[in-house]
Amino acid sequence: MTAPADARLLEPVPRNVGVSQPLPLGGSPQPHVSLSTGETDNLRGQHAGFASRFIAFIFDCVVSIGVFMLALSAASFAASVLTGSSIHWSRGNTWVVIAFFAWEFFYYAYFWTASGKTPGMVLLGVQVVGQDGSRAGTRRGLVRTLAFPLSFLLLGLGFLGILLGRDHRALHDVIAGTAVVYCWDAREARLRSLAREGSGRQP
Amino acid sequence: MESIAQGVAQRVIDLVVDALDVNMLIARIDLNVVLARVELNSLLQRVNLNEVVKQIDLNEVLDRTDLNQIVDRLDVNKLMARVDINQIVSQIDIEALVKNTDLGALMVSSSSTLATEAVDLGRSHAVSMDDTLARWVSRIRRNHTGRAEPPELPNAPEEP
Repeated sequence: MTAPADARLLEPVPRNVGVSQPLPLGGSPQPHVSLSTGETDNLRGQHAGFASRFIAFIFDCVVSIGVFMLALSAASFAASVLTGSSIHWSRGNTWVVIAFFAWEFFYYAYFWTASGKTPGMVLLGVQVVGQDGSRAGTRRGLVRTLAFPLSFLLLGLGFLGILLGRDHRALHDVIAGTAVVYCWDAREARLRSLAREGSGRQP
Repeated sequence: MESIAQGVAQRVIDLVVDALDVNMLIARIDLNVVLARVELNSLLQRVNLNEVVKQIDLNEVLDRTDLNQIVDRLDVNKLMARVDINQIVSQIDIEALVKNTDLGALMVSSSSTLATEAVDLGRSHAVSMDDTLARWVSRIRRNHTGRAEPPELPNAPEEP
């Protein structure tokens, strides 16, 4: 048995400063039930902040680049088995660069159109939705993927909206008509933590 | 002659067992006193439990026994204090136990609990950082613009 989770870290999460009302996920209003004694907020539907989104992005970078490197290695290995001569990929190779950007486009477009969540977003409990809280869908997912590089190309200024905006929306969110919200239940996590703590105290 | 004697003995045993009221018998016995006199660990060491269990029709025994009455009269703490659990556990075939019970599923669920715990903690950290950043930005913006608090949102949930 491991020690119970540090309950201090799962203390009631304070409300974000300047955050708008939670979006009704799925396009329909969701009950915002608060505990009578726990007073722990249910974050679900509230606009996600910079840190959660940034960590999710870093995780996605690691995953997508890792998978791409693995695929290159597999291709190199297959080529060496089939032709007898090994292939060395370099970052300067145009085809590698094209394949990389195509892969990155596919990675984000697939996850944002399919579920609104990349693996990093699943881990951090955030989700891309329409700005009205409805499902992001194929069109908005694709537009968001296409507009995503713009936020980088403008010297990162496209991301300022996440820090400064009331709805924490980046430039690509504004263009695609999307928003990123928390989709995990902090209240549930708090209860889980309390349950673990309780079971850990039992003799 | 011998077979007749055996038959008679068997018949007598059957009659006695049928006539025996196990519950009444147990009611008359001070189980704690009996248990206090028994060296349980050495007894367990000498007994091949599997063989004993095989020969017992547990359902029949249980049908005839008032377990609540027995449990009420047992001083479980005293009993447990005298049992060497480690020794008993060492005799258990863990692999068979996991295979034949829900213990495997329980172990899987407990490991998924650990994963959930880690994810919960990670998310909580991230949300705390989000909040800290939002506070900083809010403070900086207020200082720069000289504005007061943002207007109260309609339908905004009340602060606890």
